[in-house]
Amino acid sequence: MAKHIRTLIALAFLFLAVQRLAAQEITFTAQVDRNSIAVGEYVKYTISLGNARDRFEAPSFGGLVVVQGPFDNSSFTIINGRMSGSTSRTWVLTATKPGKYTIGAAKVRVGGGIIETQPITIEVAKGAGQQSDPNATQGQSRDPNIFITIGLSQRKAYVGEQIVATYTLYSRYSGLETTKETLPKLDGFWAENVELGEPSWDPQFSTVNGLQYRTAILKRQVLIPQRAGKLRVSNYTMECVVNRSFFNRGTPLEVKSNAVEVTVTDLPGNAPASFNGAVGELEMVVKADRTQVKANEAIELTVTYAGKGNLKLLEAPDLELPSDLEQYDPKVTDKINVNAGGMSGSRSYQYLVIPRHEGDFIIAPIEFTYFDTRSGSYRTIASEPLNLQVSPGDGTAAAVQRPNKTDVQVLGKDIRYIRTGDLDLRPTGEHLFGSVAWFAGLSAPAVAFVLFLGWRRKRETELRDVAGSRRKQADKVARKRLSDAEIALKSSDRTAFYDALGKALHGYVGDKFGLGPAEINAANLRAHYMRYAGGEPVAIDYIRLMEACDMARYAPVEDRPRQQLYDEAAGLIGRTEQLVRA
Amino acid sequence: MRTLAFSLLCLVTITGSAMTRTEADSLVARGARAYSAGETATALALFDSANTVFTSPALLYNIGNCHFKLNDVPHAILFYERALRLAPGDADVRTNLELARQKVVDRISELPSFSLGSTWARIRGGRDADEWSRRALWACLLFFLCLAIAVAMKGRNARRALFGVSALLFLGTALSIAFAAFRHDELTDDSEAIIMSPKVDVRSEPREGSTVLFVLHKGTKVTILQQENTWSEVQLANGSVGWMPPASLERI
Repeated sequence: MAKHIRTLIALAFLFLAVQRLAAQEITFTAQVDRNSIAVGEYVKYTISLGNARDRFEAPSFGGLVVVQGPFDNSSFTIINGRMSGSTSRTWVLTATKPGKYTIGAAKVRVGGGIIETQPITIEVAKGAGQQSDPNATQGQSRDPNIFITIGLSQRKAYVGEQIVATYTLYSRYSGLETTKETLPKLDGFWAENVELGEPSWDPQFSTVNGLQYRTAILKRQVLIPQRAGKLRVSNYTMECVVNRSFFNRGTPLEVKSNAVEVTVTDLPGNAPASFNGAVGELEMVVKADRTQVKANEAIELTVTYAGKGNLKLLEAPDLELPSDLEQYDPKVTDKINVNAGGMSGSRSYQYLVIPRHEGDFIIAPIEFTYFDTRSGSYRTIASEPLNLQVSPGDGTAAAVQRPNKTDVQVLGKDIRYIRTGDLDLRPTGEHLFGSVAWFAGLSAPAVAFVLFLGWRRKRETELRDVAGSRRKQADKVARKRLSDAEIALKSSDRTAFYDALGKALHGYVGDKFGLGPAEINAANLRAHYMRYAGGEPVAIDYIRLMEACDMARYAPVEDRPRQQLYDEAAGLIGRTEQLVRA
Repeated sequence: MRTLAFSLLCLVTITGSAMTRTEADSLVARGARAYSAGETATALALFDSANTVFTSPALLYNIGNCHFKLNDVPHAILFYERALRLAPGDADVRTNLELARQKVVDRISELPSFSLGSTWARIRGGRDADEWSRRALWACLLFFLCLAIAVAMKGRNARRALFGVSALLFLGTALSIAFAAFRHDELTDDSEAIIMSPKVDVRSEPREGSTVLFVLHKGTKVTILQQENTWSEVQLANGSVGWMPPASLERI
């Protein structure tokens, strides 16, 4: 308002002075303070109208952005009674992109004609100073006066890694009323809003390529990609009315942000078995409120995951408790902050564990694997095993309710273990059945039995026939005795010779014909010899020899030489054998 | 000199090809170590190489276990069946075979066998051919020993009793030989087979394109009745008969 009043006063002065100015020459010029700037630098553009008071039209700025202005300036000078005056209007311009810009011609209608200024070309070079946010620069290029940016904490992420998205409004308008907002579509993301309260203007102005903006953070979200690929965060659209005032109904505008793409990489394939989707920078703590209890008293086992990451998407850990411990569903306690840094805090699972029997139990280490975004690899944390010492319960109701004996619980099914040690290997295809050894083994006892029977039968008949055996042996015994006699003959032992010869002759016939010593006489011998054909002469010879032998044995008479007697005895025994066999 | 070298070479190759019992034992021991360390594939290779020359029910059982752990159920069943032939009464083999059969898709209700047959099976028990052969040898030896003592005995009553015992022993010998023969027949019988291909159509005639009677899946046991043009006529445990294309079976 103040500016308008000032303009009015200035115009009033002009009006008063104009009569005296009429005679002066009219000038109309445009000028810039410099012709080349860098992005973010300013150029001052001034149009001056001398000695006239007509309104002039602002030229097109050809892509240059008005930073400040227009500022009006009027001056009057009275020199030697001659009054001269000029009016000027100044803009401060800048460019958001390098290039060549042309400020068009300014026009003024004076009297009957139109006066134009010369167009001015401004060279804009690349800004050497601090780089403005490229995101904002891009937004600015769509509309330098109002735009929305989507800022992402990172453009590349792993599946499950959190990204913070910030939607910021940049505006150069003084007044702004939002009428409608459309949030971006988030395909493939799990989103969690960051609590911000009502959006409000940032007290600090921010400068983008030399232009000053008021900024407000409209919304902030933690995005967690759920799949790999190029995921898109679509436009954030806002409808608003700007420049509304008491006199002005304002201009409705639709402000759109750009869409942003995030490249999401799948997690490496070598995930350990205990991995169930946790991504971030996490820790795990396993605690039991006590480790020495009585049976049927409850233990609180707490598994806490803490750190930065997709905590809200974590699943309850798999507790592998000994089967004598009863386990209830866990209570989940979240202390999770969602802020500009992402999701951080802790999530706890509280398990109620009740040992039903006394004894020492070991709760196996709980393994937790997460994908560490710092190192880009999986990290596994294992808790320390917990030793529970359960002493016998004090026989309270709870303890009595359960029967003392429980069935052995079958926890899993698997094949039995292999055989170790000596496997008793045999060559393939070799069987005892049907082998030569087997047949031999089978027939050996039969053969042995048959042989046994044969031997037995032979022995039996022999036992039954003692005389026969004597007869069979007779020749052998007689020859033995004859050889004794021969020895005596050689040593000229008379008594021994006749003894042996007598025994041989007596023994032989005794054995041969089954006669006792008393039965050996001439009649008996003759009778036995007579049974064989041609036995009589042998019998006569035998009897005579026996008598001769007896004579020599018991009386000192030797009518024949001993050698002759011996030969005759041997011959007679041989002849008798021949007779018996014939 | 060259002949000497040649014969030495021959000797080396012969001893190299023919595995000794000790070598096989060491292979098996290494296999068992690999199995307990969880390297099932290595264990299987070691057991298999020992099995080329030697065999035993325990070795076949171990190979079956390896196949089972490697999720090759049909081969596991095949080797368990082979082990069971050598050692029909082995409880471990039976348990694991039962578990492996649970993984087979086809459920075939077996025909009820007549009661005499099951009694017969009970008497035969879980003894293999060699066991019955050994029993036959002992029974035969005892029979003749008993008979010999009976023959030698003087007392009339004792003799009669011993003759009775030897008659029983004779019966035992004859039965043992019969069982051994029966088991041996089973052992050398290769009419049973396990289906190896994941799915096989059983047709009414031994050619492609004939009517599909039913579909069988891997791990199912069938009996081969006859073969024609490499097709096999098979019978299921429930009595169904059909023709199966080649290369889908492995004989037990």
